[in-house]
Amino acid sequence: MDYRRPAPGRPQPRPQGPSVGGLFAAWGRWVASCVWWMEHSFERARADGRPEEDTRVRIFLILAVFSAVFACLALGAAHAALFAPKGGSGSGFNANALTRADLVDRNGQLLATNITHYGLYIDPREIWDPASAKVQLRRALPRVSAKRLDRVLSGERRLVVLNGLTPSERRAVHALALGGVSFEPEDRRVYPLGTSAAHLIGRADTGGEGVSGTELAFNQEIRAAGAAGEDFQLSIDLRVQGVVENELAIAAEEHKAKGAVAVVADAQTGEILAMASWPTYDANRRNSAPTEALLNRVTSAHYEMGSVFKSFTVAAGIDTGRADMNTLFDASQALQIGKRRITDFHATNKVLTLEEVYLHSSNIGTSRLAVEMGGDVMRDYFRRLGLLDAAPIELKESASPPKVRKWDDTTLASLSFGYGIMVTPIQYVAAYGALVNGGRYVQPTLRKGGRPNAPTHQVVSPETSATMLDLMRRNVTRGSGRFADAPGLRVGGKTGSANKLVNGRYNPAVAVGSFAGVFPADGPVTAKRYTVFVLMDEPGVFPRTGGYVAAPAVGRIADRIAPFLGVQRKADRWSTALGEKIPEFEDVEGDGR
Amino acid sequence: MIAVPVPVKRLFDWKVRGVRCVEIIGVVCVAALVFSVYIAKAAAARESAEISRIESEIRENRQRVRLLRAEATRLEQPARLEALSREIGLGPVDVKKQAVEAGLPAIAPPPVVATPPAAAASVAEPAAGEALH
Repeated sequence: MDYRRPAPGRPQPRPQGPSVGGLFAAWGRWVASCVWWMEHSFERARADGRPEEDTRVRIFLILAVFSAVFACLALGAAHAALFAPKGGSGSGFNANALTRADLVDRNGQLLATNITHYGLYIDPREIWDPASAKVQLRRALPRVSAKRLDRVLSGERRLVVLNGLTPSERRAVHALALGGVSFEPEDRRVYPLGTSAAHLIGRADTGGEGVSGTELAFNQEIRAAGAAGEDFQLSIDLRVQGVVENELAIAAEEHKAKGAVAVVADAQTGEILAMASWPTYDANRRNSAPTEALLNRVTSAHYEMGSVFKSFTVAAGIDTGRADMNTLFDASQALQIGKRRITDFHATNKVLTLEEVYLHSSNIGTSRLAVEMGGDVMRDYFRRLGLLDAAPIELKESASPPKVRKWDDTTLASLSFGYGIMVTPIQYVAAYGALVNGGRYVQPTLRKGGRPNAPTHQVVSPETSATMLDLMRRNVTRGSGRFADAPGLRVGGKTGSANKLVNGRYNPAVAVGSFAGVFPADGPVTAKRYTVFVLMDEPGVFPRTGGYVAAPAVGRIADRIAPFLGVQRKADRWSTALGEKIPEFEDVEGDGR
Repeated sequence: MIAVPVPVKRLFDWKVRGVRCVEIIGVVCVAALVFSVYIAKAAAARESAEISRIESEIRENRQRVRLLRAEATRLEQPARLEALSREIGLGPVDVKKQAVEAGLPAIAPPPVVATPPAAAASVAEPAAGEALH
């Protein structure tokens, strides 16, 4: 028999053109012929006279295919067993993983954390005696709403009664041993510090997204750190923060202020070590706090700060070469610019040196200096000091200052002593840092170790910075800032007092008193140095000037935080390490200097 | 036919009560393998139960640590600590009562080894008191 004849239905030359049905039929015929060919290959081989070999080849082929498949499977299994990725399924266990990382200060002290809270669920079908259950539940959990409890107990389904039970509340309810009561865990953000650093930390919502403060500013990084099971560190030092808050609260209550602000920063790195806004609120009971307490005055409130701005005017004057320590300014009579008369608060009525202008806080002197420098120079310095733009701190609350529209002579005179320009305290702190750290503007930051690769720019020369440090130190030893001195810490600084604009007029009864201090003020300009800024908004008792309302707080803060910051008490030209004044060298002969 | 070596052929032909010994040996080997795999699996199951127990214990402990840490922080609120210490009359240390480590020998000279300890203590005490007040 001829087994090699074409299989029945083998494709034959088609008489007509291809159609879909025809193609299908052709394909089917081809498959059938293949199967047919396979089925009959054994007979075919026997017919060829090589029956044994053909059988062996087929068995060998099948054996080879199966061996290959099983070898692949074995290799795959061995690979899966030996080289399984760590943390893959099965070993997926990271006990530290959280939706949001714990916030800690620079020394690892806790600022914000996640605690598992519980949702209370009740299934009324499993409750024996709803009336007694209600009484017991209300006794164990006083804050549960009676209406909600009634609705759930008289309902048909398992429903949530209350969210956010603390572990101790859960224990109390659990101890009732009621049927039908169950708990479901939920992660909650808690702020164990309560009122401390509340503005700065901000808050996160129940979904785990930041809403304000650092929780919002570093939202992505906090979430990433949480997934990795690490803490997220801020530049804050909780010890310093505590001192600053306490001293600020004492000073604010003593002077019956409406609001108060204090900031401590590292002048060289721009790190904020403490930031306090008074009044404050409990971060865990935010809803019951009065609205004015919620405002972070450090980043979001604008103030015309007054004389603390004279530091900028004087620094610009020295830096441009317009003035040096011996330049004389005629403050013997009021300065007339157009229709406006500029007078001094502590009128001296004489010709003053630059040092005296600064120490007596002479409006006439700084106005003359500013007008001499002109609008373009002043605007350039103010811009480089960051006084015209929102402070580049990470906090989203950092507000833009109102624009200064005119740069004519009368505006310049106002700007020179801190009127006509409103800035946020954090803007001021960043700008002030540039005067005392060798002249570099460093962006303020809440990141520990400073901002990585942050651009800094030179505002004034290091020599100007050194001169300013000397002037500020002199101002504390002999000028308006003497209450800010702390024994042996070489505090320097400048007072500021301004009246507030009320209904378009500067009202002398509503004032802002401030003090911008730096310590230690001696040593090379690049040495470690800390700035302390305190501002009292609308102090209610006299005297209201910065030298009385803010300077003492700066002195006390410096005195208490120096040990934490590692600042040694030392003597300098003006006072001993214990704070006693060194009598000044009197040049009797007149040939001394 | 493939030529099979004689010893192999003898091994295949060695039978006990009509059953090839090679097959008996093979069955015994397979039984041993199955049993050992069973033992290994059972041990692994026990281990993984132990691991998950320890893991849940770790998780619970971690929760407790978090809770206690938060509680400690709540108790250490700066405002609370300050209020408590002011209440019992504590306050910032006056600068004249502070000393640095390097200045300690000047305040209380270390006792001389030759003198008896009692005498050394009586010398050191007034010196310390004098410097501190």
